[in-house]
Amino acid sequence: MIRTISHRLLGMLVVMLLVVTIVFVIVRITPGDPAAVMLGPDATSADIAALRTQLGLDRPLLVQYFQYLADVVRGDFGQSIFLGQPVLRALADRAEPTFFLTLFSLGIAVAIALPIGIYSAYRRGSAFDQSATTVAMLAASIPSFWLGLLMIQFFAVKLGWFPTSGYGGPGASFATRLGHLVLPAFALGIVSSALIIRFTRASMLDVLNDDYVRTARSKGMGEARVILRHALKNAMIPILTIIGLTAALLISGAVVTETVFSLPGVGNLVVNAVLRRDYPVIQGALLVVAGLYVLINFLIDMLYILVDPRVRY
Amino acid sequence: MAATMTAAMPASGRSQFLRSLLRRKPVVIGLAVLLLILLLALFGPMLSPYAASKLSLASRLKPPSPEHWLGTDDFGRDVLTRLAVAGRLSLLVGFSVVVVSCVIGVTLGLLAGFFRRLDTPVARLIDAMMAFPDILLAIALVAALGPSVVNVIAALGIVYAPRLARIVRASTLVIRELPYVEAARALGVSTPRIMVRHVLRNLLSPILVQSTFIFASAMLAEAGLSFLGVGVSPSVPTWGTMIAQGRQYLDQASWIMFFPGLAIVCAVLSLQLVGDGLRDLLDPRLSKDI
Amino acid sequence: MKHWHKAITLAAAAALSTAAAYAQEPQRGGVIDVATIGEPPTLDPMASTADLVGIVSQNIFETLFTFGTDWKVVPLLAEAMPEISDEGRVYTIKLRQGVTFHDGSAMDSADVLASLQRWQKVASRGQQAAANIASIEAPDAQTIRITLKEPYAPLLSLLAFNNSAAVVLPSENMAVPMEKPVGTGPYMLKERKPDQYIQLARFDAYKGREDASDFYGGARHQYLDEIRFVPVPDPNTRVEGAVAGQFAYADSIPVESVGRLTGDKTEAVTLKPFGWPVFVMNTKEGLLSDVAKRRAVLTALNPEDLLIAGFGTSDFYAVDGSLYPEGYAWNNKEGVEAYGQGDPEKAATALSEAGYDGTTPLRILTSRQYEFHYKMAEVAAEYLKLAGFQVKLDVVDWATLTQRRQDPKAWDIFISHSPFLPEPSLIGVMQDTSPGWWVSEAKTAALKAFNAESDPAKRAELFGAVQKVFYDEVPAFKVGDFNAVAAKSPKLQGVTPAPWPYFWNAYLAK
Repeated sequence: MIRTISHRLLGMLVVMLLVVTIVFVIVRITPGDPAAVMLGPDATSADIAALRTQLGLDRPLLVQYFQYLADVVRGDFGQSIFLGQPVLRALADRAEPTFFLTLFSLGIAVAIALPIGIYSAYRRGSAFDQSATTVAMLAASIPSFWLGLLMIQFFAVKLGWFPTSGYGGPGASFATRLGHLVLPAFALGIVSSALIIRFTRASMLDVLNDDYVRTARSKGMGEARVILRHALKNAMIPILTIIGLTAALLISGAVVTETVFSLPGVGNLVVNAVLRRDYPVIQGALLVVAGLYVLINFLIDMLYILVDPRVRY
Repeated sequence: MAATMTAAMPASGRSQFLRSLLRRKPVVIGLAVLLLILLLALFGPMLSPYAASKLSLASRLKPPSPEHWLGTDDFGRDVLTRLAVAGRLSLLVGFSVVVVSCVIGVTLGLLAGFFRRLDTPVARLIDAMMAFPDILLAIALVAALGPSVVNVIAALGIVYAPRLARIVRASTLVIRELPYVEAARALGVSTPRIMVRHVLRNLLSPILVQSTFIFASAMLAEAGLSFLGVGVSPSVPTWGTMIAQGRQYLDQASWIMFFPGLAIVCAVLSLQLVGDGLRDLLDPRLSKDI
Repeated sequence: MKHWHKAITLAAAAALSTAAAYAQEPQRGGVIDVATIGEPPTLDPMASTADLVGIVSQNIFETLFTFGTDWKVVPLLAEAMPEISDEGRVYTIKLRQGVTFHDGSAMDSADVLASLQRWQKVASRGQQAAANIASIEAPDAQTIRITLKEPYAPLLSLLAFNNSAAVVLPSENMAVPMEKPVGTGPYMLKERKPDQYIQLARFDAYKGREDASDFYGGARHQYLDEIRFVPVPDPNTRVEGAVAGQFAYADSIPVESVGRLTGDKTEAVTLKPFGWPVFVMNTKEGLLSDVAKRRAVLTALNPEDLLIAGFGTSDFYAVDGSLYPEGYAWNNKEGVEAYGQGDPEKAATALSEAGYDGTTPLRILTSRQYEFHYKMAEVAAEYLKLAGFQVKLDVVDWATLTQRRQDPKAWDIFISHSPFLPEPSLIGVMQDTSPGWWVSEAKTAALKAFNAESDPAKRAELFGAVQKVFYDEVPAFKVGDFNAVAAKSPKLQGVTPAPWPYFWNAYLAK
């Protein structure tokens, strides 16, 4: 088992190294000079050259690469050129809206998807089932930013029920901040519910045909009880897996949604960083997001190995 | 799921395959809508009395009317005509992304699946690529390559290639061990020939299914990138740039952004319906239930 | 210049009536949120010419001089206007006594001396001034003496500017980039959360001027407790936030959206005229290094159509070829007959006479940072195609644009805009090194005469000669004049429309 674990660990480290390298390559071939952006429209070429030297942007690429690797290993993700603060700090400052947005949209997606998925499976082939499948596909076909814009126009501007954008400004209370998340969470949650609906339905169908469910039924147990107590319990593992996968997908969705609603989250930070040519922030954000993904996958792998020692590389 | 081996399609069964495909109502609807969109994109601009890029500042922001069925935009251009022209590009982007990701993904997958020494490095590369959220990676790539139609296609092609590579690799690993492939090898058939004739042919159906979904994802992603201002140049009409352009006029002239969004929904939904139908047919293991 | 007050007008009559309802004695207290167009790249006013940097940092830092009504230079940290001797070569500046920095230390000539030296090194306007400065000394604790190589009239305007600004910093705080934003201004930095807010609080030990408030000059009253600048890069979001009452002031509203500023929580504030959109041409390399082709561009373009596309209705623009509109001392009509022809056919003839091959693309570099830039580019492209040009529109983000325009090989026209600067020699194209790289004997001669003259009336006349050269050699196309619109809560009083809005003297009516 030790061998398996160390083999996997090595594999993960290779993937991490590749992730770092991909990020570095992408960022360095990006045109646009952070020094020119920092100095404003009237800066002379000499000013820009001086600032480039100061920021280390004039050194050979390979030197910059190894320097970067060394820094990353030491946990130093560099300093944001534009914001003048450490990249990790900038990311941490923006983690809250992204975290809650992801959490709430996931919650909304699950709240929509589970009942629909379960009922579809239960009434397999019915009109409800067929329309639910189509509606799920429809939800997955809507661009989330377009839905977000329509929602802003209707619920925030026309009806005035929710704030149009932002995260409440300086010193806003927690409740106010959450209020700003309602519309974006719905825009993202609705769009993301599709996958969960389909998987819930499929897993439930598998389980509903199983013997013990039949047995429970034959014992005269109420339908609701059969479904919720027995079937759902056993269908939960694949459903949870797909919910986890959806959570990862939501991070992509959050990038666009945060921009539509001007939420100061990680996605917004990255889009701004691209526009500002803030190399370290783009590097850091890509690295942290991808790194977390690799790490979580690795931990899940480990969990499987621990639970089921037969798993071998 | 689709990674598992699928039944090869016997040549004689093609017409039967088509027939059973067309027996599915969602597929027929999807194909019909796609065909409609395609016809609109191809012939709409020719039938329209307006030129898509002709500015007419006197008639800007006009609501839908008998002259302009879907209204005019902020330059006074006919929205329906632009929608059709933009459709060409949006469809072209989606299709080209499929081609690019197929070329990259199938090559990588075949190499990894067939040559043991390449397997680990390629598998790791796929893992690393898939660790990035797709929009985030696409944004970074387009920013690096520069915003243009070709670069958006390249970036999204790269982003979606690992999905195909992974499926192709897994299937290749299975197919290469099949008796008739072994037999072909024993008969001295060259490796490239085996890869193309035997392996690739067996891979067609999972690739076809996956391609449909990549087509749909690519159209959504292109719109998202254009909306964020990091996609194709805003002077190039695509459904995504039209939404971005119309955002400013949301309450004065909502038609500018509403119709392109609707077009995206229709196109993506149709692709999904068709893809779903294909998957059900081609992949017996995944019955209608998923 | 007498017309300046007329020129600055509050937009809607409705706005005036609500304003009247709230008119009362200034109130002390209150906090305002100001929506800005984005996060400023720095708070160091020396390091950037960005308007946004000036808007925020002018509350924190102060310069020796500033601009009063009619853009007349008036003293700020200086006690009075300088004593000028040796035929305009020596400026002796007395400093105000008892001014302290936000860190509690007192300001003296050592701080000013160190700051001006930093300014000459770090700031682009400082470098421009440095070319004409022989020496700067501090003869005593309250005096600064600047000696020029030869008379240079723009000096005081350069010292008064609020971006690339000659602000006074404590002498121990000279690091580049700036470490702590410590100034002498009426407000001090309390907290900065990038992309969320910049929170400024009243500086209690502020020692302001005692003369009456006069545009940027005179007394600066600290009515508000706090000013919080909230970056809102998306213009629609600024509009929506203003309508919902989220922002007391929202800067830079797209004129198309003015109709949306309705309800009782916001109203439009128009600064008329604000500035000019400009198509800068590459005189150094490529297609437009040939003056005949630049003239063809000027002939082809119809400014009115460009302005309609950019600003919607004529409430927000004026077709005007003069580099400064009426109301400014610099306004004149020299050379403007070349402007506004909108005649692509004539341009086509001129173009073929100039030997255009019909295939080399004319590359227009623009961004969507400002929507009107992009819209003008679209319309201009149509006109230039009619004139026979092969046009290539390069729409990039602002960061790429600011970099690419530094490269003479990368573009033929780029689109920008500028407020009407109080001193014409500060206009981008007037500087030989700024992108466009317009250098010619006629330009140098005209500018030299203009800069050496100190008598304002004569300078106004000499500027006519500069403008004539501008229209003769066409280093850029001035599209016209345009107005800036902001959104303001009716409760927020005492805000003077200005290209760089400031919030001292502003107060919240109860």
